[in-house]
Amino acid sequence: MLRYILKRLWHTVYVVIGISMISFFFIHLSGDPVLLMLPGDASDQEIEELRGQLGFNDPLYVQYVRFVSKAIRGDFGESLYYHVPVMELVIERLPASLELALAAMVFALVLGVPIGIISAVRRGSMLDMGGMFGALLGLSMPHFWLGIMLMLLFSVQLGWLPTSGRGTMAHLLLPAISLGLSLMAMFARLTRSVMLEVLSLDYIRTARAKGLMEEIVIAKHALKNALIPLVTVAGMQFGFLIGGTVIIETVFAWPGLGRLVVQAIFSRDYPLVQAIVFVLSLLFVGMNLLVDILYVYLDPQISYSEEK
Amino acid sequence: MNTRATVFPGFRLVAENLLPHFRLMLETAREVVRRPSALAGGILLLLILGTSLSFPFWYHTDPLSQDLLARLTPPVWQSGGGWGHLLGTDNLGRDVLSRLLYGSRVSLLVGFAAVFVAELVGIVLGLISGYYGGKIDSLIMRIADVFMAYPFMLLTISVIAVLGPSILNLIFVLGISDWVTYARTIRGSVLSLKRKEFVEASHAIGTPHIIIIMRHILPNVISPLLILGTLRVANIIIWESGLSYLGMGAPPPMPTWGRMLAEGRVYIADAWWLVTLPGLAIMFTILSINLLGDGLRDALDPRLINL
Amino acid sequence: MKKAYFLILAALMLSGIFASPGMARDADTLIVVQESEPVGLDLMRSSLQNTMSVCYNIHDTLFFPQQDASIKPALAEKWEKLDDLTWKITLRKGITFQNGEPLNAEAVKFSFDRMFDPEIKSPHKGKLSAFTGIKVLDDLSFEIKTAKPFAPGLYMLAIYLPIVPPEYIKKVGNTEYNTNPIGCGPYKLAKWVRGESIILERYENYYGPKPYYRKVIFKTVPEETSRVAALLTGEADVISGIAVHQRKKILESGKAYLTSQMGVMPYLGINTYEPPFNDVRVRQAVNYAINRELINKALFNDKAILCNGPISPRTFGHAPDLKPYPFDPAKAKALLTEAGYPNGIDVRLAYPTYMSQIQEQAEAIAANLSEAGIRAKLEPFERAVMWQRYKAKKHQLYIYWWDDAPEPDRYMYSLFNSKSRDYYYKNKTVDVLLDLGRTIIDRSERAKVYNEIDRILYKDAPWAYLYVIPEVFGVSNKVFYEGDRDGFLNMRWARPRT
Repeated sequence: MLRYILKRLWHTVYVVIGISMISFFFIHLSGDPVLLMLPGDASDQEIEELRGQLGFNDPLYVQYVRFVSKAIRGDFGESLYYHVPVMELVIERLPASLELALAAMVFALVLGVPIGIISAVRRGSMLDMGGMFGALLGLSMPHFWLGIMLMLLFSVQLGWLPTSGRGTMAHLLLPAISLGLSLMAMFARLTRSVMLEVLSLDYIRTARAKGLMEEIVIAKHALKNALIPLVTVAGMQFGFLIGGTVIIETVFAWPGLGRLVVQAIFSRDYPLVQAIVFVLSLLFVGMNLLVDILYVYLDPQISYSEEK
Repeated sequence: MNTRATVFPGFRLVAENLLPHFRLMLETAREVVRRPSALAGGILLLLILGTSLSFPFWYHTDPLSQDLLARLTPPVWQSGGGWGHLLGTDNLGRDVLSRLLYGSRVSLLVGFAAVFVAELVGIVLGLISGYYGGKIDSLIMRIADVFMAYPFMLLTISVIAVLGPSILNLIFVLGISDWVTYARTIRGSVLSLKRKEFVEASHAIGTPHIIIIMRHILPNVISPLLILGTLRVANIIIWESGLSYLGMGAPPPMPTWGRMLAEGRVYIADAWWLVTLPGLAIMFTILSINLLGDGLRDALDPRLINL
Repeated sequence: MKKAYFLILAALMLSGIFASPGMARDADTLIVVQESEPVGLDLMRSSLQNTMSVCYNIHDTLFFPQQDASIKPALAEKWEKLDDLTWKITLRKGITFQNGEPLNAEAVKFSFDRMFDPEIKSPHKGKLSAFTGIKVLDDLSFEIKTAKPFAPGLYMLAIYLPIVPPEYIKKVGNTEYNTNPIGCGPYKLAKWVRGESIILERYENYYGPKPYYRKVIFKTVPEETSRVAALLTGEADVISGIAVHQRKKILESGKAYLTSQMGVMPYLGINTYEPPFNDVRVRQAVNYAINRELINKALFNDKAILCNGPISPRTFGHAPDLKPYPFDPAKAKALLTEAGYPNGIDVRLAYPTYMSQIQEQAEAIAANLSEAGIRAKLEPFERAVMWQRYKAKKHQLYIYWWDDAPEPDRYMYSLFNSKSRDYYYKNKTVDVLLDLGRTIIDRSERAKVYNEIDRILYKDAPWAYLYVIPEVFGVSNKVFYEGDRDGFLNMRWARPRT
């Protein structure tokens, strides 16, 4: 077990390094920010001076080494646009993004799993068909379009919910639903299919024949089996959630990292982009690691507890 | 040995490999037809594809011609709309229906082409990785891990920031960002097939690697890859529209569904059709793909986890 | 196990609710919503409209700039012209910064010098570069000199030189000052939650007219529909960034009204160095090809003001005898043929994507041009790339804009003097006239010079002149606020509407 964790930790390290290298490469290739940092009438001399000062004239690998040597000590530099240490900015915005991602995940689980269960238990019925078709519909919608439509209906036309920003539960509702709907659909379908499999297994039939209450049968055995794929998918999809917040944050003016990083890319704010990419990838890989460890922990439990 | 086979070994190879495939395809088609939802999806998709390919023959309105004074006209069923513009006009007076039709081409083209690129890269890398194993496998899988962990939107935005927005760049970017799933799938299949007897036997008698790959391994993995690819087209279309929404998609004046959403968003409170209709178009296209994909997956291997 | 998972999630969610700041809505609090968030609060370091808006509540300058490019006293009480190059300015007595530090001539000198500090990289220093320096005379008065007579001098000081506290800045440093500024204006910064809101509180020892509202909260909502909705639901009292088609809705709602502020002057720049646009006839053809009236009617509800030449019709110095280029595609085609392009030309039209409504205009203009035989291929660029290519002289036709300022030197010099920019056009006569225009102190004489510049550039057509789009603020019916032509949200002037 320990060896596995160590191996996975090493995996975390090289992935994060790899991502930071790639993003460094790309953001530097996409143009330099010096022109944007200086006013329109700055002379060419001033521009060159600033470029030299910030070290942009050195070859890329030199700049990268400089970046890494500082980053290891925790110094990701100052934002070229905000003139504030980038980690400060990232830590300011991180809770908002996490809040949104978690809310979407909770929404997806809390609604998706019961829908999947009901669909499985009442297989073939109108509930099942309706649920599954709804899920498919949810998977087929672009989430930012869903967000715009929901905003149109609930904020603009009906005025029930605020249009944007962060503050209360009411503010969180629409963005979380937009982000979480496709995830909910995925959970519903997944739960249903796993439940169907388990429900048809012999030992379940035996348990039922013995007269145990249906609910207990379902709850204990079937759900436990569903746990692994659910956890796996949840972990994998966390990456999508983090990435998907980019557009949702734009639509709803949610003050999170997604919007910040898009702005940073547009203003070629190298240090800020690097810092955000680092944090986001760390989150993603960290979540995967958690899921994997959880997986190993859950697995022996399941394979043994059923064989009675 | 047949002369033709030695002169054109590829011909024989293809013929030998395709025949069982045709049978498989027919069986799959039968399974799909048996399931009403998959059938519906398939028909809808064919309708969409057919419309997208054929519309210049029966709908002649120019998507680019502006009529500034007739801007923001509602669709025909709303008051203020007219038969001249069935689905209304946009902010510059251009016909929405025409733009939806032309936009379908971009979305579908980018969707299928990007998946094609992704599959190509994925298959090649996955094959190499699985077949040769060892250090190359390690390296490729590590690179795959990095790609998987890179937040998709960020990767695509960063690359477009470097290359500039254009349809070709979009296809390229979306393609290379998405290859990992295919690579992993095919690598998995290769790993399991590698040990099978017929492969070892072939290897023993000295068949070149390429032939082993093409004859034994590829046919067995093609179907799950195709299904995966079909389903991914849906995702790619969504990402493309997202990129267009952020302003990094195909440049104007050629309409794309994503950009229509972005342009219409500004007028959301006055011209609901500008955001609703392109979104519905995307949704129905993707729905049809998903319905069909589900059916295909059920038909070919009902025990694949439902995602 | 699963239960624990859910409990943890639920707890996190609940903490989200409690952690969110509750917005108390008192009658003496004003909520202002802008399109983007200030980058920093050091006025010297940013030229972004939204940033400067917030800054002008916190910082004061020597004079209050007026809508006709004249000035009124603010921190300065009186001023006299000693000679054509020197002004003597006397400050009011007893002014303090928001931390109690006294405001004196030393502080003014410190502020002036700071503008040119290389670490600050002030985007405004170019506008003050005509000044050579400040000599402190005594505690409250000082002399400020220019190298050559500079007519807009005091007006420039009124806008671009905020007076900042030397002791405080020396103590906390420039980086900290950017997030925690101390100024001498009517509002001081109480709290800045980045990404959410900037809370300002009235400075009770302000020397000038006391603002009515005790608290002003600046928020950011980038989505335009959301902003307008916030105004109409009462969530916001004042909003900026309202596209033309939303204005009707606000007027019809009965809950808010519009007040005009700055004008935006988009223009179509032309690369005059390379064919086909090195021929003035082709450039004029571009001007004749654009249907400004129709664009105005369709896209701006007829609210835009058509431009004649480069100087806005609302600014002094524009030549009154000029009329906008008429829409005449036939004439455009004739000019093209005359210049040797009977079959038209294929050109590229670049525009930046970060401003809304620019794409719309670009597409409409491109369609106009194509009909006259100027087949324009649209090239959208994001902000950074657009600017890079602009400086690298890569554009052929490009759309940019300027704000419609009341002082003609403010943008004419920047845009047309080859010392400032010569990427796409150079005209020695205009250079001489621009230099002359800023040194003549007498206003009517100045106007004549600018008239001439206007006429020359009209004929030479290095741009296609478009229009001025008046921008507006949306204001709730409960508040009385009048927008200024400089477009800044100076909430010291806001008061409740009885």
